Amino acid sequence: MLERFRLDGKVAVVTGAGRGLGRQMALALADAGADVVCAARTLEQIERTAADIRALGRRAVAQTADVRDSKQCDALVQRAADEFGGIDIMLSNAGIGDMRGANAELWDVGDDDWRDTLDVNLSSAFYCARAASKRMVEQGRGGVIINVASGTALRAYPMSFGYGAAKAGVIALTKSLSAMLVKHDIRVNCIIPGFVRQAPARNEQEQIFAQTRGRYIPAQRLGEAWELGPLAIYLASDASRYVTGQGFVIDGGGLAGGLAPMGFAPVTGGS
Amino acid sequence: MKTEWGGVRSGLDAFDLTGKRALVIGAGNPAGRAAALALGEAGADVVVCATSTDGDEVMAVKRVQQEIAKMGRRSSSVACDVTLGTGVQVTVRQVAKDLGGIDVLVNAPKLFLGKAADAITDVEWSRVLQVNLFGTFHACRAVGKEMLKQGGGGRIVNVASVLGERAIANAAAYCAAEAGILNLTRALAVEWGPRGVTVNAIAQGWMEHSAAIGDLDPAANQTVRFVPMKRAGAADEIGPLVVYLASDASGYISGQTLFVDGGLSTHL
Repeated sequence: MLERFRLDGKVAVVTGAGRGLGRQMALALADAGADVVCAARTLEQIERTAADIRALGRRAVAQTADVRDSKQCDALVQRAADEFGGIDIMLSNAGIGDMRGANAELWDVGDDDWRDTLDVNLSSAFYCARAASKRMVEQGRGGVIINVASGTALRAYPMSFGYGAAKAGVIALTKSLSAMLVKHDIRVNCIIPGFVRQAPARNEQEQIFAQTRGRYIPAQRLGEAWELGPLAIYLASDASRYVTGQGFVIDGGGLAGGLAPMGFAPVTGGS
Repeated sequence: MKTEWGGVRSGLDAFDLTGKRALVIGAGNPAGRAAALALGEAGADVVVCATSTDGDEVMAVKRVQQEIAKMGRRSSSVACDVTLGTGVQVTVRQVAKDLGGIDVLVNAPKLFLGKAADAITDVEWSRVLQVNLFGTFHACRAVGKEMLKQGGGGRIVNVASVLGERAIANAAAYCAAEAGILNLTRALAVEWGPRGVTVNAIAQGWMEHSAAIGDLDPAANQTVRFVPMKRAGAADEIGPLVVYLASDASGYISGQTLFVDGGLSTHL
């Protein structure tokens, strides 16, 4: 069974691999056997991820990229081909979940802000999928594309409505791409994280914040970045070969309900 | 794997179920069998359970048990009528006693009825709801009780169908039952989440073993053309997802319906 999750000989490109979810997923893919091109804007951080991957006995390179620029996304796929002979897994994780608009009125969010939010969170997924799928079809051995959306796509998210809208776009993009690429044996799925902590709490204040936030989630806690790793392995590997076009929500049960101070019906009656 | 999060099982080792105690109900049908074998292969001890005392089903479950035993796992087979809550309770109690606890429950009782809605009899309607929905609840309740008592959390996986989310003609009772399983899954996930029990559903698409394909006339098989992957799924393609959802690594996934359907649901 475990061999069905293995990724030996596979080459992955992971964007946003310098920290948080992307870093943990890159490490997990490597643990399962993949060689990885680690991409992000900050070289120092991806070099650390790449070094950690090499320590696992896999090959890894770090390449800086701003995924708002499609040419830089193309270059990542090219780098995978140059270094490792091709690409099998594109994990589009890069995104910026800032609170743009948190304290602003709707009309205070300018065109540039809006476009930038869509560029970094939605267009990036398109650029990476376009570059990767073209190469995968040329290679003729299929492939896997994994996008990362967000639970904010599925509910109102006034703190950053552009982010929520962009991530909703990622979910829709995933479905359409899955239908377009299925004939090339390329599967496209997306991971939809709820509130997941990017890093361990550095101080008591962060710890208290996480606990307070977690109270409104059935799991009674926020998720932790490492918990995305096994899901990435599942979706990247042959273990999920009949799964495409899907969004896997990982949110501690938040979307099932209970994301409210009460979450429980009053217990009445019964015998 | 050692990271800034400590020595977490976030790599391949996440899927190792050595030492886990699992109960699979409906192991005599293809999806349940695949789930049971996958759990066994991943290292779990597995008790397989028939959903009735029907001789053929009991024998089918026994054969699955023998396959698991060959892997070197602890295993046994039991049978109970899942439509009767007290019977399920007694069986689960005994299984929990024998294994020393239950960490994983997989529910896969399956009874399909292909019939025009206006022709479904009370007995048929009731039977389909009893086996699929009530059966799933009976097992969740009995095993959930054990998991809450144990205190260490647990994993429940309900094998359902795309027909719980979308509908086709001539399957009203089954569609209703499967939809019931999906929202039961959410309700239990919310209620038991604080106690560390996750509850998820797997929605199967058109599978090689789907009664909705196999029992109807050959024209029905044309439906496979509408699956983006252009083929029906194999039972063993459900197995790895069961393993993932049964593992410690899936602790933050709960209340979800996960589709293993070759992309079918993206077009429905």
